[in-house]
Amino acid sequence: MLDFLSFLPLLIIVAGAILLMLLSAFEKIQVEIASFVSMGFFGVAFFVQLVVGSGPELVIFSKIFNGMVVSSDFTKVAGLIILGCGFFTAMSAHSYFKVNLFCTLEFYCIMMFGTAGMLLLTISQELITAFIALEIMSLSIYILVGYDRANVTSTEAILKYLMLGAFAGAFFAMGTALIFGGTGTTTFSEIGAYIAVNSASQPLLIAGASLIFVAFLFKVAAFPFHAWVIDVYDGAAIPVTGFMATALKTAVFAVFANFLTMNSELHSSWITFLFYVAVFTMFGGNLIAIGQSSLKRMLAASGIVHSGYLLIALVAISADHFTGSVIGYYLAAYAVSTLGIFAALSYLGGEGEKRASFDDFKGLAKVRPYSAAAITVFLLSMAGIPPTAGFMGKFYIITSAISAGQTALAVLGIVSSILSMWYYLRLIINMYFHEAEDSFEIVGSPLATAGTFALVVCVFAIGLYPIII
Amino acid sequence: MFEYALSVMIFLPILAGFAMFLFPISSGTSRIAGLIVSLVILLMGVELFLGFSGTAGYEYVENRPWIESLGITYGLGVDGISLLVLMTGVVLFPMVFTIFTTQSKGYYANLLVAQGAMLGAICATDMVLFYIFWEIMLLPMFFMIGIYGGPKRLPATLKITIYTIAGSLLMLAALIYVGVSHHNQFGRWTFDIVQLGVLDLGGGFAILAFLMFMMAFAIKIPLFPFHTWLPDAYTEAPTAATFVLSAIMAKIGVYGVIRFVIPVFEIEFARFAILLSLAGVVGMMYCGLAAIAQKDMKRLLAFSSASHMGIIALGVFCMNVQALTGSLFQIAAHATSTGVLFLFIGLMEERMGTREIGDLGGIAYRAPIFATFFAIAMLASVGLPGTSGFIGEFLIILGAIKFNAFIGVLAGTSLIIGVCYMLWMFQRVFFEKTNERTMEFKDLKVSEVLTFIPIILLIIGMGIFPQTFIKKIEPAAQLQIAKVFSMTQSQVADTTVPTPGHNNQKN
Repeated sequence: MLDFLSFLPLLIIVAGAILLMLLSAFEKIQVEIASFVSMGFFGVAFFVQLVVGSGPELVIFSKIFNGMVVSSDFTKVAGLIILGCGFFTAMSAHSYFKVNLFCTLEFYCIMMFGTAGMLLLTISQELITAFIALEIMSLSIYILVGYDRANVTSTEAILKYLMLGAFAGAFFAMGTALIFGGTGTTTFSEIGAYIAVNSASQPLLIAGASLIFVAFLFKVAAFPFHAWVIDVYDGAAIPVTGFMATALKTAVFAVFANFLTMNSELHSSWITFLFYVAVFTMFGGNLIAIGQSSLKRMLAASGIVHSGYLLIALVAISADHFTGSVIGYYLAAYAVSTLGIFAALSYLGGEGEKRASFDDFKGLAKVRPYSAAAITVFLLSMAGIPPTAGFMGKFYIITSAISAGQTALAVLGIVSSILSMWYYLRLIINMYFHEAEDSFEIVGSPLATAGTFALVVCVFAIGLYPIII
Repeated sequence: MFEYALSVMIFLPILAGFAMFLFPISSGTSRIAGLIVSLVILLMGVELFLGFSGTAGYEYVENRPWIESLGITYGLGVDGISLLVLMTGVVLFPMVFTIFTTQSKGYYANLLVAQGAMLGAICATDMVLFYIFWEIMLLPMFFMIGIYGGPKRLPATLKITIYTIAGSLLMLAALIYVGVSHHNQFGRWTFDIVQLGVLDLGGGFAILAFLMFMMAFAIKIPLFPFHTWLPDAYTEAPTAATFVLSAIMAKIGVYGVIRFVIPVFEIEFARFAILLSLAGVVGMMYCGLAAIAQKDMKRLLAFSSASHMGIIALGVFCMNVQALTGSLFQIAAHATSTGVLFLFIGLMEERMGTREIGDLGGIAYRAPIFATFFAIAMLASVGLPGTSGFIGEFLIILGAIKFNAFIGVLAGTSLIIGVCYMLWMFQRVFFEKTNERTMEFKDLKVSEVLTFIPIILLIIGMGIFPQTFIKKIEPAAQLQIAKVFSMTQSQVADTTVPTPGHNNQKN
């Protein structure tokens, strides 16, 4: 029974997606209704995921699936984050598409299929399952990125993302093949057992693991596979960008952590590699972000930096006693603040996303003080200023890094967050310390606004009651 | 009821501040509300001061687990070290609300949040809690300087914010290092400062962590050569923000060194004491000389404040009871004198529209009460016997000579610089000829006189009856020094690391 319950959120989301697909095929409902339907399914799935306890490790339907899918507290939290992201994205999309009229019914359906892929990715403990989940997720996201067919930047974005993403998928498949060639299995637990008996430093294993790392690093936009992210985030619609930046990253980091922790020897043999990737990701992301004048591009680049912090956590995890608490907490903290900014941008951006640069938000605090305050909270959380969730997330990551003996990495992470202060503060300065030149009229539904303020509460709630798994 | 006094004192202003942001009330109402809140805090503070027994330990303790997996607690308490700093943050605050009557709602709300966060930083006995309040207290200052500041406020805001946050993030890394070291040595997590005191740190990382802590506090104090943000920020900030920054926030930097750095890093502190006290003395001289050259009164006071912070910091670095007591006393004394001087300059600016020394003159003939008050605060600031400034400076110089005669003599002589710029400024502004601008200058109103009188009396009272205050802080200072010595002596005895430049045997 528990097996089924752990699977249930995924089934609910798939059912919702299919329902929406059928409804859209017969054109029975309007786009607004579709967003409420998807919100409903996300809400129910979130609730089920929250209620169902899974314990440290539960192999779902071990007889049928042969250990392909394993749920744990960590995957439960990752699933919660993904479902929450879906819920709030549907909310902001509702407002966004009141003004930007290129939405059709399939949008929400595809988003839910993408979410289903992400949920499957978090619990997959087998390479082929992971590959399928990764592709379900990626294909949906490709479509969502290029949803505005009339928009040139959007088309450019999908072309870039699709081409590069196809390479990443191919690398993953190739890595899977090599690992299977080396170990004779694709299940994480069996690969781990094989490494424990033999060794992680076989050519096939090294090559296979490195190809899989390439795919993961590409998906989370880590150095040196981060170049696509700026243009793709910039080209996608605001709610889609928010969804990609949070839910997708959560799913990939979940499976990344699961993959790394299948054997401590595997983890320790890749620590040096991950160390440098983390450092370059943080500093490369900062360098890109500092130069941006568009808000979405800045947020894309800051997403790279946050991937760098999460890589610190990956370096510092202990493969023997893996709970995923630090990564899960940081992902949640990052998700609420990023999603909050994108929700706020969804209703402040205006028609055709006409307010996009730092300068467009000058004087927002004078006209819309509450929205400006909400954005400030999200930015401070991303910058890691207490008492927000972002601070506790950073605190846990630095603590885990120093505990794992990675003091240099911790200090570099701190230096990187000092650098990142500049571009977070820049928006706050523009919002508060300049006179308003714009009236910041808001048309459309108040759902995105409601979502923004709900997320402000989440930022403080997660920050002040840091529940560690 | 009174066992939650500290929590109430911290969160009442913070909540009141946020309520002001959220609800649409007029600026007049928000000023009254702010005044009431700060008066309530004042009454509670006075009650707390009178009830403070003056033993060396913590009083009014609150301790509650918060994040148990990392041993972080919600721990508050006051001891002799924090008492006077706390009182500074409590006593001076109502003045801001009575004097500046024409500001907007956000101005008063930010001030209240700043007060709550500062009191939180002063009362916290848990390092993480301290850090949280320490970061929060910067935010209202950021908004106040940026929104209500002078014409060049943007660069000033960025400078102070990035400077301070850089320092505090480094401190975050260092404090996590301390917590992890405690976990490694004793097998359990805690960030409680009393328990962290038993920690035995050593090696390169300990020195690095010590330097990171010191950097954060040196930026906040500010200690030479980290003082470059100060003149711009103090000059551009609105008067109330300058007052809060100079009178209270800078003191929390010194307080942080005493509370969090010395107990944990005894050996490193002893090694670096000479260097740090030299930085204090150099800062004192350099900022004093820079003050002489200033044409803008507020900038002059900004440099003078930095110069005084140098001597207060010096008292901490000398590591003996006299100097430490002197520093703690001087924290309060300096806050009353310089804080009030900044408020006076704010008043003058409001009335005259200028702060240029060259534009002023002859104010003493037009406004005798104002001039008298100003003179008392100014004389306290230069350390005239009979005022509060004398006691603290005397004790610090005494301790400094005991610590190292050279530094003591240097510090003693550079006090003269303070007299130079202050008296010269006073002469140019208050005497000499009046001009058409100063002819119009109105003396203090009754309400303003009533606001300043208690503080002026306090300045004189602290100078004549210092024992009332010193007897409350001295036991804690003695305990602190005794702990440091027992630690350094025993650890120096069994450490094999050569300790160049450490000076603790001299005392």
